[in-house]
Amino acid sequence: MNEIAAKATIRPRRRLIASRLAPYLLLQVLIALATILGLRLLQPSDPEDFALGGISLREDGAAHPVTLPHFTSSRYSLANPPLYTGAFTFRNSGAGWSVYLPRFSNAVEVAVNGIVVLDSRRDSNANRPDRNTPQIAAVPASLLHDGSNEISVRLFVWGPLKGFLDTVYVGPDAALRPAFETRTLLFVTLPVVFSAWQSILAVILAIMWLMRRHEPVYGVLAVAMVLGVVQAFVPPPVPPVTTSRLAAVLLASAPIESALIVVFALLFFGRSWPRYGTLLFLPGVVVFVAGLLGGPPLPRILFLVLGIPMVGICLLVMAGITAAQVVRRLDAASFTLGCAVTIVLICWIHDMLSVFEIMSNERIFVSRLSYSAMLVAIGAGLTWRFARALNQVDGFASQLVTRVREAEERLKASFAREEERARAAALANERTRLMRDLHDGLGGQLVSIVALSERGHEGATITDAARAALKDLRLVIDSMDDIGGDLMLALGSWRERAAMQLRPHDIALDWRVATPQGLPLHPELRPWHVIQIVRILDEAVTNAVKHAQARNVAVTIETLDGGEGPYGVISIADDGKGFALAGEGTSQTARGLRNMRSRAARCGVTFELNSDSSGTRVRLQLPQVFPDSDAAAG
Amino acid sequence: MSEQGETGEAITILLVEDDAPTCWRLQDALVKAGYEVRSAGTLGEARQALNSGAPRVLLTDLRLPDGHGIELIREMRQRCPDTEIMVISALGDEESVISAITVGATGYLLKDAFPTDIATTVRDLVAGHSPISASIARFIVRRTQGAAQTSAEPPPGPVLNTAKLTPREIDILWGIAKGFSYAEIASHLGLSRQTVPGHIKNIYRKLEVHTRGEAVFEAVQQGLIKL
Repeated sequence: MNEIAAKATIRPRRRLIASRLAPYLLLQVLIALATILGLRLLQPSDPEDFALGGISLREDGAAHPVTLPHFTSSRYSLANPPLYTGAFTFRNSGAGWSVYLPRFSNAVEVAVNGIVVLDSRRDSNANRPDRNTPQIAAVPASLLHDGSNEISVRLFVWGPLKGFLDTVYVGPDAALRPAFETRTLLFVTLPVVFSAWQSILAVILAIMWLMRRHEPVYGVLAVAMVLGVVQAFVPPPVPPVTTSRLAAVLLASAPIESALIVVFALLFFGRSWPRYGTLLFLPGVVVFVAGLLGGPPLPRILFLVLGIPMVGICLLVMAGITAAQVVRRLDAASFTLGCAVTIVLICWIHDMLSVFEIMSNERIFVSRLSYSAMLVAIGAGLTWRFARALNQVDGFASQLVTRVREAEERLKASFAREEERARAAALANERTRLMRDLHDGLGGQLVSIVALSERGHEGATITDAARAALKDLRLVIDSMDDIGGDLMLALGSWRERAAMQLRPHDIALDWRVATPQGLPLHPELRPWHVIQIVRILDEAVTNAVKHAQARNVAVTIETLDGGEGPYGVISIADDGKGFALAGEGTSQTARGLRNMRSRAARCGVTFELNSDSSGTRVRLQLPQVFPDSDAAAG
Repeated sequence: MSEQGETGEAITILLVEDDAPTCWRLQDALVKAGYEVRSAGTLGEARQALNSGAPRVLLTDLRLPDGHGIELIREMRQRCPDTEIMVISALGDEESVISAITVGATGYLLKDAFPTDIATTVRDLVAGHSPISASIARFIVRRTQGAAQTSAEPPPGPVLNTAKLTPREIDILWGIAKGFSYAEIASHLGLSRQTVPGHIKNIYRKLEVHTRGEAVFEAVQQGLIKL
């Protein structure tokens, strides 16, 4: 079943790959064609009217006629360079004449009529094979004479590249200068502009990386750009200076840069680092180490053998990575980067073909230029992405604020709802309790009043029932008050009511608080506990009045401590005649007694009653902690 | 037998109660005790009765057909400061009693009190002994505790300013709330038994809010109102 599922997922995936990859590849082909076309169209045109003809080359002692552009063999010695000689006809028209060399490698020394007018070795940038630097030199009028003049060009070559000399132009300066300016703009100024741009981006990216260490992608790109800038601005040593170690660094820059760009692509697309990824840096390191250890021309040879192909490999890897990313995500970033890589790759192939003379050309190298352009584009893209991320953060923050506010509102509403519900529940509970309390006392007493009135009773019995009802109403109201767990406050009110009840019967109420603080505090004390306790006390007092014919009722309040913490005791003793405990079970006294016991049990009070002919004693031992729920209600 | 004041004249009582049986009951008890009682069933009748001279004692119900007893108490305090005022209450609940105290009443009389108790209470009142019940004392001391806790929400029930009470007076109130007798309180606090009623009278006076302006001033003093 799993296999079927796997197959089922593979097929649409393949279709997806095909449907995404095919248009992408087609686009890359179109871009490649456009690049080739662009390279052809952008080939700077030279003033062919003033091309030097009839050139002869003297090399290794032998002279033979050649046509420019011309490649000479690669060599490692500056001694005895190839010498191109030719002749041109000068007609004095008052305008200054110049000699213009659009492209040569590596360096030239131009002499007119035996006098040197230009030595490019003094301009180190002009000798760089990766730049297509043109040279122009004004020929002093005094050197020229009407008719045929001789011009000789000594071409200095340092291997392993072959020497190259493009067509040499001699003519009025005004005719040559525009072509020279065009080439200077394209191959000198533009790279400088790109490099300057690159250096600025390098700084920006480095700052980004410093502030966001967890995003090494910025750091990698910054390092690549710094290398590029160093390579562009540091003048390479001219071969006679054989001991320079700088050459190694500069030569190693290209393969290291390209490897860094691959690393950047991996990080940018969030791919995992391949196991042998570090091998990408190997060629660059080899060139670098070889350059440090051995003198020229070894680094240059290694560069040609290792560095240049490495650049190509890196470009191919990049193309692969971006293509995979296009298939996976189909996003703008991978698409753009893929197109840029294709352009640079085409430029690199162009240069390779040029180096191996497979393509007829004027040996114009464009990879470095296109690479710089790509790097600038990537940097700009990254900066754009960073700014967009900042915007997103802003948006996210404001969204978060809104969300938090919403959540707060919801929470507030739900809290209010919950509070409302709790209040309603508390109210309902309280109503239930109040109802029960009123039912227990007031209700029954009022019914009894109604019954007594209907039967024509008068006076004392109805009065007693009504008084009892009022007393109970006061008790219920009183018990609702918050007494903060101090039962003494409830007993204080009770004392007043009991005294009022006893006074007409001429019974003295002896109130004795044995311990200064009275009773211990009970934070858990609830109104229903208070009601139950006070009703027990009421019952005891009522018994003393009605049945015992007592003259004196003594209430003692004290706090005892049996070693397990303090507990309160309330005792009520009368000096009446007492009653038989095992008396009739249906009598009013017996029912009152049962009530007292059950009330005591409900709030965890230990109830004791002793009665004999000398009086009745009721002892309530309060619990250390009052029960939370009604123990006997359920 | 006739109760007489210091000048030897009979003590006059104005009884304002709209429920006729209750009114008769109280009047009987007071007349039997020797007081001169005039009764009124409404606020209007009470005001008319006042025009013919100020009584020594005013006993008034709070809910009257044409107004509230509180208005009558306030008027009485302003016109005749010497008159002793008491509220007649069915239940003696704080809601009605405390609001009456703040306008100048001293204590309350239960409508179902025994005749002897009614007479005793009025006699004590005229003698300068303002009675205070345990539940009212409890309400006041709980309110002093509540004022100490700086809660944003005012506690439920009538507004009561306890800021002027001294610690001794609060101790006395605690004693009454817990059911101690005056003698017990006096011995606990090292006072003479005779001074306790005077303290209680002072407590009543301190709880009285004389004018609206004074009420606001008190509220500012206590930080209840922020200007």
